[in-house]
Amino acid sequence: MSIEIILIKAREAILECDAKKAVTVAQQALEEGLDPIEVLTNGFSVGIRDIGDLFGRGQVFLPELMMSAQAMKEATVILEAALQAGDIAKKGKMLIGTVQGDVHDIGKGIVVAMIKTQSIEVIDLGRDVPVHTLIEKAMEYNVDIIGTSALLTTTLPEQRKLEDQLRKLGLREKFKTMVGGAPCTQRWADRIGADAYAEDAAQAVTKVIELIGQKN
Amino acid sequence: MSKFFTRMGDGFGIYLSEEEIRADIEEGTKDAADRAQIPQLSKEEMDHLYDIVTMPGIVVGVERGQEVVTTSDSGGCKISYHCNIAIDRSTAILIHEKVLGADSLDLGHIDYSYKAVKSVLHDEAAMMELTQLNSVIPVLYGSMPNLGLYTKPDGPVDNWAELLPLGRIDEARAAQEEAVEHAVKDIVYVAEGMYEAGADGMNIDTSGASGDADVLAALKAIEIIKQKFPDLGIEMGMAGEFILGMHGKLEYDGVRLAGLYPHNQVKLAEKAGANIFGAVVNTNSNMSFPWNIARTVTFVKACTEAANIPVHVNVGMGVGGVPMCEVPPVDVVTRADKALIEIGKADGL
Amino acid sequence: MAHEVASGMGGIRTAGDLVLRLQLSKSMKIHDAKKYVADKLGITPLELSDCVIMAEIREDLNLGRPMPPDRTAKGIEAKFRIAQLLGIKINSVERFKTKAGLS
Repeated sequence: MSIEIILIKAREAILECDAKKAVTVAQQALEEGLDPIEVLTNGFSVGIRDIGDLFGRGQVFLPELMMSAQAMKEATVILEAALQAGDIAKKGKMLIGTVQGDVHDIGKGIVVAMIKTQSIEVIDLGRDVPVHTLIEKAMEYNVDIIGTSALLTTTLPEQRKLEDQLRKLGLREKFKTMVGGAPCTQRWADRIGADAYAEDAAQAVTKVIELIGQKN
Repeated sequence: MSKFFTRMGDGFGIYLSEEEIRADIEEGTKDAADRAQIPQLSKEEMDHLYDIVTMPGIVVGVERGQEVVTTSDSGGCKISYHCNIAIDRSTAILIHEKVLGADSLDLGHIDYSYKAVKSVLHDEAAMMELTQLNSVIPVLYGSMPNLGLYTKPDGPVDNWAELLPLGRIDEARAAQEEAVEHAVKDIVYVAEGMYEAGADGMNIDTSGASGDADVLAALKAIEIIKQKFPDLGIEMGMAGEFILGMHGKLEYDGVRLAGLYPHNQVKLAEKAGANIFGAVVNTNSNMSFPWNIARTVTFVKACTEAANIPVHVNVGMGVGGVPMCEVPPVDVVTRADKALIEIGKADGL
Repeated sequence: MAHEVASGMGGIRTAGDLVLRLQLSKSMKIHDAKKYVADKLGITPLELSDCVIMAEIREDLNLGRPMPPDRTAKGIEAKFRIAQLLGIKINSVERFKTKAGLS
């Protein structure tokens, strides 16, 4: 089977939320001697980006999105097993939480599901997380990235508080930071000195991979 | 080349050229049309919108005769709880009536959910009775279905937000279906109390905040309230421009709820018995005001054309083309109003 | 405030409350509701939003005003008159009648 067909089938498996098909396609790709990274990047990941977009337009719903994420995860396990140890070592660790005072975490849950599909370890602290807890846990798990989500204009300042606190403790260079949430913008990220801003889950995946690349 | 002052969706001021504004208007209307499968704005409408965006003056207004009426969400709380001025809600409503020129207001509790207020219904009803004695404008009672409150540990059903990521889809769906029944009972219970207290209507507000099941609860409750109290007015306000599919399979009147946009939402609100529909279109903080308002007007126009009941558009922080900032600037708020009424044909705000 | 300045009818400063009552009780769209109220008041829909014309009408018909002097209708009393004028049921008025033993 040609690489083009495998990539199309990989994308389809994700869009159809079909874990069995995703696993079969991943196995076929390996049997054909294809590059696992290419299959992941140009096949399965394209499917995840597309389904994320359809979700954002109200054409696909949360249960399907979660099933797609599961299909991606199962395919990723198979493809990763074929990668060299060095390739796996490139993956990183991310801590994420909705800031203190904010209990909105539907969007964050989607971001977590999507990032996990990239074999990045995600420690999700849930919602209403104080800045000191974010920092303590970031140290404890020795993460690469701290990501925060805020849905309300009234809770947005918590993201700035995290930046200030990291600077105060001399830890700012130890972690990359990423911010998101409806009132959040690139301008806000620049204002507070965050390393990255992501508008949606698909962009969050891209930005996380970029940040991990910068750290390495 | 001259540039015009406008704003980004987070409220920050920017200067754009005529070409940039026109391009953003076109992109905005295209985005809405593409998402909801509705017509784009016509050339004349886009020209009118361009004129509104670039009109001189800080504040602009609708043409004489085009004025509309307003309803509110949690309006009775805003002076006391949001601005921290120590007055009771009844007084706040009278200030809105006599000083601020409001056409109506809703009395809402700071814990703005039907589940939360049912336990203090007697106090809420007393406040409504007092308010009704002194006010002339229609006073509604407002709250949210807020289905999330019915999940453990705050409520009786399993938490679908935890079940879904675990792949326990059927259980997550069953939990939402169970929560709908609890919410319907609470909404109807509060409506009964408010009817007896003399409320002019119920505002079932921010429907859909917890997804499609949340909307189903609102619709089912409206149907029951209308059967019991045909004269009690009902406004159904939405939470977002499309119904989020947390369940994905729920239907009302044979129509799947998840993914519906305002022009389809309003038909179900009508069917259930709502008298006023509160359309919501979200503002994108990263896009310009011309883009956001073109998009919003496109959704609203399709909605008002489909509707047989009046449509009141939510126009405030982060919705209705208004930037997502705590103190929305009057330059864009008044432009949003004018565009929504003159092009979107809104019946109220 | 911005809404009222830019596009609002103005509540009891004009006929905003009356028009809204028609939307709430009869699901009328804005222009139908305005026409209904204007016909009842014997004026044009355009005049409904004119606070000078409506101040006089509200004074003459005793429908409640932003700065009501003594011996003029306030609160529930004004709503008795509004219900009668518009030919609609106002819930608070109906409940008041029941509780006061008037119906």
